[in-house]
Amino acid sequence: MNSKNKKGVLHLMWTTKSAVLMIFMLFLSAGAFAQGKKQVSGTVYDNTGSVLPGASVIEVGTKNGTTTDFDGKFTLQVAVGGAIEVSFIGSTTQKVQITATTANVDVRLQNDGYALAEVQVVSVGYGKVKKSDLTGAISTVGADDLVKGTISSTEQVLQGKVAGLNIIRPSGDPAAGATLRLRGGTSLTASNSPLIVVDGIAGVDINVVQPSDIKSIDVLKDASATAIYGSRGANGVIMITTKSGTKGVSVVYSGLSSTGYVADNLDLLSANQWRGHVRQTGNTDAVDYGGNTNWQKAIEQTAISQSHTLSINSGKADSGFRTSISYLNNEGVIKKSGLERISGNVSAYQYLGDNKDVKFDMGLFANIDKWNPIDYRIFERAYNLNPTIPVYDANGNFSSVSGNIYENPVEILTNRTVDNERHRLLGYFKTEVKFLKDFTASANISLEHNAVKGATYKPSYAVMEGRTEDGYAQRTYAEYTNAQGEIFVNYNKTLDKHTIGALAGYSYFENMYEGFGAQRSGFVTDAFGYNNLGAGYNYRLGDVYSYKGKSNLVSFFARANYSYDGKYLLTATVRRDGSSRFGENNKWGTFPSASAAWKISGEEFMDSSKGWLDNLKLRVGYGVTGNQDGIGEYKSLSILGVGNDSYYDPVTKTWSLAYSPKQNPNPDLKWESTQQINIGVDFGLFNRITGSFEWYSKTTKDLLYTYEVPQPPYLVGTMLANVGEMSNRGVELTLNANIIKGNKFTWDANLTLGHNIQKIEKLSNPTYKTDVIYSGSLHGLAGMSGQYSQVIAEGYPVGTFWGFQSAGLDADGKMLYYNAGGETVAESALVDADKKDLGNVQPDLTLGIGMNFTYGNFDLGISGYGMFGQKALNATNMMLNDPNRLPAFNVPDDFLSSGITSAPKYSSYWIEDASFFRLQSLSVGYTLPLKYKGSKLRIYLMGENLAVFTSYKGVDPEIGLNAQDGADQTGLAAPGIDRYNNYPRPTTISVGLNFTLNN
Amino acid sequence: MKIKITAAILLSMLFTVSCTNLNEDLYDKVEDGNFGNTPKEIDALVGGAYSSLRGFADGISNNYPTCEYVFFLNEVVSDEATIPTRGTNWYDGGQYQDAQKHTWKPDNRMILSAWRYNYTGIAKINAIIYQIDKSSLTTQAKTPIYAELKALRAYYYYNLLDMFGNVPIVTNFEDLDLPSNSTRKQVYDFVEKELLDAIPHLNSNVVYSKLTKNVAYSILARLYLNSEAFIGTPRWQDCLSMCQKVTGYTLTPDFFANFATENQTSTEIIFAIPYDSKAGTVGNYMSSMSCHYLHKLTLSPTGNYPWSANGMCAQPGVYSAFADTDKRKKCMLAGDQINLATGSVIIMDNGEPLTYTENLTSLGDAKENEGVRLGKYEMKAGENWERDHDFVLIRYAEILMMQAECYVRLGSPELARPFLQQITARAGEEMPATIDLHFIDQELLKEFTFEGRRRTDNIRFGTFFLPWWEKGATDKTRAIFPIPSSVLTTNKNLNQNPGYPVN
Repeated sequence: MNSKNKKGVLHLMWTTKSAVLMIFMLFLSAGAFAQGKKQVSGTVYDNTGSVLPGASVIEVGTKNGTTTDFDGKFTLQVAVGGAIEVSFIGSTTQKVQITATTANVDVRLQNDGYALAEVQVVSVGYGKVKKSDLTGAISTVGADDLVKGTISSTEQVLQGKVAGLNIIRPSGDPAAGATLRLRGGTSLTASNSPLIVVDGIAGVDINVVQPSDIKSIDVLKDASATAIYGSRGANGVIMITTKSGTKGVSVVYSGLSSTGYVADNLDLLSANQWRGHVRQTGNTDAVDYGGNTNWQKAIEQTAISQSHTLSINSGKADSGFRTSISYLNNEGVIKKSGLERISGNVSAYQYLGDNKDVKFDMGLFANIDKWNPIDYRIFERAYNLNPTIPVYDANGNFSSVSGNIYENPVEILTNRTVDNERHRLLGYFKTEVKFLKDFTASANISLEHNAVKGATYKPSYAVMEGRTEDGYAQRTYAEYTNAQGEIFVNYNKTLDKHTIGALAGYSYFENMYEGFGAQRSGFVTDAFGYNNLGAGYNYRLGDVYSYKGKSNLVSFFARANYSYDGKYLLTATVRRDGSSRFGENNKWGTFPSASAAWKISGEEFMDSSKGWLDNLKLRVGYGVTGNQDGIGEYKSLSILGVGNDSYYDPVTKTWSLAYSPKQNPNPDLKWESTQQINIGVDFGLFNRITGSFEWYSKTTKDLLYTYEVPQPPYLVGTMLANVGEMSNRGVELTLNANIIKGNKFTWDANLTLGHNIQKIEKLSNPTYKTDVIYSGSLHGLAGMSGQYSQVIAEGYPVGTFWGFQSAGLDADGKMLYYNAGGETVAESALVDADKKDLGNVQPDLTLGIGMNFTYGNFDLGISGYGMFGQKALNATNMMLNDPNRLPAFNVPDDFLSSGITSAPKYSSYWIEDASFFRLQSLSVGYTLPLKYKGSKLRIYLMGENLAVFTSYKGVDPEIGLNAQDGADQTGLAAPGIDRYNNYPRPTTISVGLNFTLNN
Repeated sequence: MKIKITAAILLSMLFTVSCTNLNEDLYDKVEDGNFGNTPKEIDALVGGAYSSLRGFADGISNNYPTCEYVFFLNEVVSDEATIPTRGTNWYDGGQYQDAQKHTWKPDNRMILSAWRYNYTGIAKINAIIYQIDKSSLTTQAKTPIYAELKALRAYYYYNLLDMFGNVPIVTNFEDLDLPSNSTRKQVYDFVEKELLDAIPHLNSNVVYSKLTKNVAYSILARLYLNSEAFIGTPRWQDCLSMCQKVTGYTLTPDFFANFATENQTSTEIIFAIPYDSKAGTVGNYMSSMSCHYLHKLTLSPTGNYPWSANGMCAQPGVYSAFADTDKRKKCMLAGDQINLATGSVIIMDNGEPLTYTENLTSLGDAKENEGVRLGKYEMKAGENWERDHDFVLIRYAEILMMQAECYVRLGSPELARPFLQQITARAGEEMPATIDLHFIDQELLKEFTFEGRRRTDNIRFGTFFLPWWEKGATDKTRAIFPIPSSVLTTNKNLNQNPGYPVN
């Protein structure tokens, strides 16, 4: 800190001090006028130290009272010796004794966990419901509880926060997203991501909203809650409510600057270890290139990241607006990788009419991402290259030693240019009209647009492909637009103890996607990069392409609620979805649900437990939901297309394009349907602990898979069809506790636990017969072309490793195995029947834990998450512990002591327990209260990914859910395989600052 | 009130613009009913039947079966080629070792892919015939198109007859009932009848790469040549008469002209699968599958040639079967491989020189440099992984060899001499004093090395069942492959071939 800044802080402190002094003197003088009664003034703050308008201040035992103004201030005439009671909804009430000397009373109210939770309003789809009136399984996470830090993908804010929701981030690449899985997932091939709903707009990209704009997130978990979203509800629904203009005016700045470094690398031989080994074994063929390179370090960097967010909020009685702008630049720990984003958000609402009869509400979210995708093949090369090869040769050029999978990874990173850019936009306009006293009609229209531009250039001197292609340039563009219109009417009526609610509506959703691209190779000069495709002289058929498609979804939905005396609650919903993607014979699907809740603690016979039991509610729900993501457009039709089908015309000596049937048409194609029953208990204890326990059982039928069909008679050997059946059963526990809630010291804790058991129930039906699907492909690993590590089979969960049981190594380092009879045999004696279940990738337990402490103006937060009991195939280790590698290819340190002499072969030897607990974040903050209308400044220090507790031997035990070659991360088909492409995870240390200015 | 009216109008607007129409609008594809109405569209449909000869890639095979499977499979179970395991590489579940040892199982992926290659081609042709049926063409215009398509389909069935024997015959695209096996004899009769029926309507001229009369005669000649092996009835005379109908071809003076990048100009090729990487064709990379990773340095000093996979090579004894004077010997790459940049022998990763040797340590543990490699098709600097040369299926030399073999088998070896002379003269070889079957067999090996047809010759000559390198005696039932296990799983109406387990 330089002297100029120091002076500024001193000045600020002086101003604050003198302001306090002046206010104090003012109160003193005011007190002199009171006789018997005295005038007491004060300010009420919430638990975060912000002023609290609207809190009630009452003289105990009287009707004398007032409420705090916009600045949280109050003034009240109180009898000396009496007391005042300060209360606010969702907070614990505080009593303050008034003595003759009392003049100024500053009260800081603490949250009442239970009370606060019960008055929270929860988004349930096409409406909101008080948490106390819920009948379905819904978890709510408020803005304060969202994960903070260097976040470049919005779903990360929920990591470890919702019981049953696993968020797997397989990579430390800032440009890589995370995979969400609720209650084990439901689909083998389709997306298992929950439906994202932002401010009521369903089906949007979660990253259109920045974490700083989120007010709260409600996660709809069971079918009774998600059935209102019908054919898209099977994997749960994440309802994001964004911040909107609240009463008053505030300007908030948040900034974060961080340094990240690679948390862990593989221990491979250093150049000197390599030399030692070569000398020891007397290997005369080994080539020493004279360098001393740690190839993993050579591709890494220290990542410097920053983010800034500025928001302005202004609200009056009948209108409000909020705007925010943010910038983030997250560098990756691998050179050249990172993500830069600029985003903006404007939202506004306006009531019209004397009774706020009409409400207009609009929101606009936009952001631009820029990133440079790196070629993940560098990781395998960094493991392969001999450590004596220097990065640069004597002439300063990248050294290049020819070999198989042996290109210089630093060269690959440096010499290829990939510039990608994504634009996201979401805009909505909502109208709400109250009519006939009890009715509210709503109309929403929205548009979401998402476009990705790609540009690649591999110069002719780049070793990977570039050289053989004489330079290669590519430009791509892809976009989609989701247009949506919805109208619905809500009816709400309370008659005595009866409360009735009803909803009916219609929704139209249209997805239009298109794109084009061009590529060329053969450039005389590398001067143009990707900017002049026409300069490439070599082009092939298929170098230019474009595509376009459309789908729509039409829905009718309805809901009815009834409650009696707030104790007996019933909800029923139904949605009827029609999708253009479905086959001709199954265009429409109906998704019903029903649920009931009983607030036991509201019964008279529970009066005796009132002292400790704040709330006890039992919920039961059943519903049917669908997943239609697995069906792409046009999959049910018999279609002719062009593709790779060119044919030679010997007369003209030219090539023409053939039109061929592309797929087996399946007019029966439909959504995957999930039936789920959920029983839940919500409870509140000792006014300190709230929580819920859920038990669920769900069965997914009509599982979509690209099944092998008999040829003949089918056109192609595979066909997308609805065949299998899968079940998930489990329990979840969520606990929130205000362990200590003193005036000065508070201690909050939250815990989420999830346990899920998955099983494939069926894979065949009368038309399609499948005994087993081989999955977890090892294709692409040396000697393992066409080999599989897992099975999808009846009676087993997805991700079941299937192979030979290792019996360890013999004295010569040869791998031994157990045969089916339990005898130890050599590899050559193994037969297929010796293969067995080697464990699976499903965790037995998932855990999220967080604690927050405050002491005066200091705060401390700690959070972590873990998964336990899952297995992973450490294919990286399997391939690196290969006696054929040395001396040309590097090996792990452990290999030399292991004595392994067998070539890599997939077996239980390489399957490890991948249980882990990650200390995800630790933060320490100090809030500087600025006495200017509750303004405040918080500075904090934060560490992320500080430690991982695991016995897993690879770089990181959190392994992607679909490691299949080139496959996306959506399906369940090949989880838990660690194969080379590990982008290492960073450990990050950040300094942050939040500045809130109220007016 | 005004506000409410505005809102009501907004609401009703939504109703009017939306609907419940769920028809799919197509933008970049066409539904099958809307195609086949112009001559160009018909050409584009029929063209698809030919493009299927190149094979396909999908989630099950992962690869392009033309080269990788139909070709590999027929080669690696013969006495000609092998895919040894080299260190870690090319083990792949033992599928190649099983092929070499003649211990293949019904779940062998090469066998599945060969099956799928042929049936995908057949299904595609059935679909095209169905499209033509629905088109607005006159019956007269349809006849030659049907003939061409059915003859091409018969080629696929010929492959199935040869490889699997008792396969189901499916000719109707709309029939989705699960078929059951036909006997090998029924398949044989079907192939013969389809070709004979088609011939009158096929093109009589020499048209490169199309299924003409000449191609149909050649396939029938193959059928009759192997008739004894297929159904137990020799038909040497029928083979001769079919060969005699093939006209318009001559041997190219240079043997290797048939395997040059621009081999479509060869006067010898009767039937070929055209490839051109610029036209986006994929699946033609046999040489790359055979050569060593560093072979590129023998073609370009800067290594401007794609990576090669170091897989298939010749079995011991094949290379030395050629006389050094035999011009065809160059179809294999042997000896020291010279780095064009340094002029000396290429050094491999392990520090040893890259010298292709005829002998291999063993099938299960061959060294990186062992085995002579396939060098028949032209390779040159600057090429892509996907090659531009066409893949030769039938060439005139085969017509000559078939006739020679038939005369020997019919007991008139001297009548074979004029045919064989053309072959040996081009190769620079001497003719023997007496012509016997052994000579014919050896000549077939040398003339058609790595052309994907050796297995059929081995079976016809009976050598298939005798022990050879890394293989013991073979049971007669292995003259055909088993029906792939996953096909049996999905179609319970099918029976496994005799001698094989169901799975």
